[in-house]
Amino acid sequence: MAEKSGNKPPGEKKLRRKSRISDLAKSEERLALKLLLPALLIIVLIAFYPLAQVFYTSFTDRVFASGEETNFVGFDNYRRLLSVHITELEPLIDETSGQQLVDPESGELLYERPLDVLPREPRRYREFNQFDLFGKRYVIGATDPSFIDSVQNTIIFTVISVFIELILGLVIALVVNSKFRFRGSMRAAMLVPWAVITVVSARMWEWMLAPSRIGLFNAFFDWLGVIDSPIAFLATGGYQLSSMIAIDVWKTTPFMALLLLAGLQTLPGEIYEAAEIDGAGKIRQFFLITLPLLKPAIAVALIFRTLDALRVFDIFQVVLGSSAYSMASYNYFQLIGNRNMGMASAIGVIIFILIFGFAVSYIKMLGVDQE
Amino acid sequence: MKKKTSLLNILKRIGFNFMIIFILFYLLFPFYWAVNSSLKTESQLFMTPATAVPRDPVTLEFSPTLQNYASVVTDGQFISGLVNSTIVATSTTAMALVAGSFAAFALGKLRFRGRKPALYLILAMTMFPQVTVLTGLYAVITALGLSARISMIFSYMIFTLPFTTWVLTAFFKELPDALMESAQVDGATPFQTFRRILLPLTAPALVTTGLLAFIAAWNEYLFALTFTSIDPSARTVPVAIAYFSGAVARQEPFGEIMAAATLVTVPLVVLVLVFQRRIVAGLTAGAVKG
Repeated sequence: MAEKSGNKPPGEKKLRRKSRISDLAKSEERLALKLLLPALLIIVLIAFYPLAQVFYTSFTDRVFASGEETNFVGFDNYRRLLSVHITELEPLIDETSGQQLVDPESGELLYERPLDVLPREPRRYREFNQFDLFGKRYVIGATDPSFIDSVQNTIIFTVISVFIELILGLVIALVVNSKFRFRGSMRAAMLVPWAVITVVSARMWEWMLAPSRIGLFNAFFDWLGVIDSPIAFLATGGYQLSSMIAIDVWKTTPFMALLLLAGLQTLPGEIYEAAEIDGAGKIRQFFLITLPLLKPAIAVALIFRTLDALRVFDIFQVVLGSSAYSMASYNYFQLIGNRNMGMASAIGVIIFILIFGFAVSYIKMLGVDQE
Repeated sequence: MKKKTSLLNILKRIGFNFMIIFILFYLLFPFYWAVNSSLKTESQLFMTPATAVPRDPVTLEFSPTLQNYASVVTDGQFISGLVNSTIVATSTTAMALVAGSFAAFALGKLRFRGRKPALYLILAMTMFPQVTVLTGLYAVITALGLSARISMIFSYMIFTLPFTTWVLTAFFKELPDALMESAQVDGATPFQTFRRILLPLTAPALVTTGLLAFIAAWNEYLFALTFTSIDPSARTVPVAIAYFSGAVARQEPFGEIMAAATLVTVPLVVLVLVFQRRIVAGLTAGAVKG
């Protein structure tokens, strides 16, 4: 090639080279499109219509499984789901002493009723929560407190469980990545929680967390003598979310561990040999070599775990039913219970936007989409 | 001096083994509890306090029962559910791996316009909760006239394809460009490079994503419940379990559900045991040299 073009004027040589490169680039582009075709076809076939329909329906008042007429309602569904109003509560003053009234039973200070101060127009706001700030009492009202509650539940659930899963998954991946005798069996055994059918594992945990001593946990705590009476884990506010997190962490840590293990497998061994020679300890090696190199695998595992956690449905639906919602189980309630398909779709879109936000921030933070 | 290090090593070994035991206990104990419950009769299930092995309510002697297993195995629904689940999960995984690895090679190793939008588009398809897309998906399936099994296979792509594509893209990106260049110098087309050289190198990722996708498809409940409502013969295991009527127990057949869960989990564990050998280290290490 070189000697042939050697006789030609330099300008032409450059031109030829350029066109060869663009030819190559073009053929690469064509190949890329061909390779993407099956995936794109599947998306068009199976995902395009349902997703477009969700967006569209979220702006209507469509009723699920009925012949009722559907009207376009604009952002009404979103407004109903997301309207939040914060206002100050005036203290109740005793007229004779001028002091604030106190509840004789609980000893708590008394304030006016939230219902009296929250707006009723255009829609009634109901109390979601109260908080104190600079000695004043405020109330948070929402037009759909159950949804706001489900958003809060889901986000707390997601952040805590994904964080624990990442740490635990990393530890397990590092353990099964080192050589020991029953490594193969351990790798199979560690996937057991992920392999148990989700709906069944939810029922299994429900049984173990039963509010009497037929449940493992109450029987165990009773045997230890740390509780006086059985705890209703799944009916008591404070325990509900912790129970959900415990179930999810148990169930999906193997998913995280296996993805991270596959990531660990691709790390080149030479770097560790070099680090060993340089005298870097195991802990330094982990933070200076393993963690940075594992970043792409961690990013992908985090994205998919977070995405799944934000859409959590099965365990909330099976174990908690209607006593506490996740976003997706509230979505199910709106669709099947209330047959309000417009509202359900709007919830779907809100979940989508939330997930998209999480995904983009992970991708930016961990730099996965860099060339 | 030498003695000291060996003592340290022994301590390390002990610590490591404790860690393994602790991890195994944490991951396996709830499953053990399911097995334990599956071997109990209804009256044993309601004993207080709960017993760590099935015991006779009166004499407290060890007395497991196999009646839950017997009623699960004789339930035709459960056996046909196993067959359906195997067909659906295997096809889903195969399709997701083929389409996913093609797309991942393009996204991870080829230069073309629209790479980032394509990545996001594929991920976006799985960002909606299943409940939300259910009605639209059902409309598509009715319009196309797909059978229940085929519709499950296709609809499971919604959550398996983005997963396989993204994980494999990350792995393809990690493979050194030198591999492709040297193959090209040797006269291989990019597709040959992909099939003969890069794909075998991503075997650990292929096996991992394949296993995770298979199990996800195997366990899926909501789509399966909806799409098999018109064709009960296509019910998968999770749906079949949900339809247990309680042949033995009067109310909810908890023992049977646990027996079924145990029976379903065992083949999956065997599957992982067979395939985990493929998750091996050092494949790429030698490939770039020379």
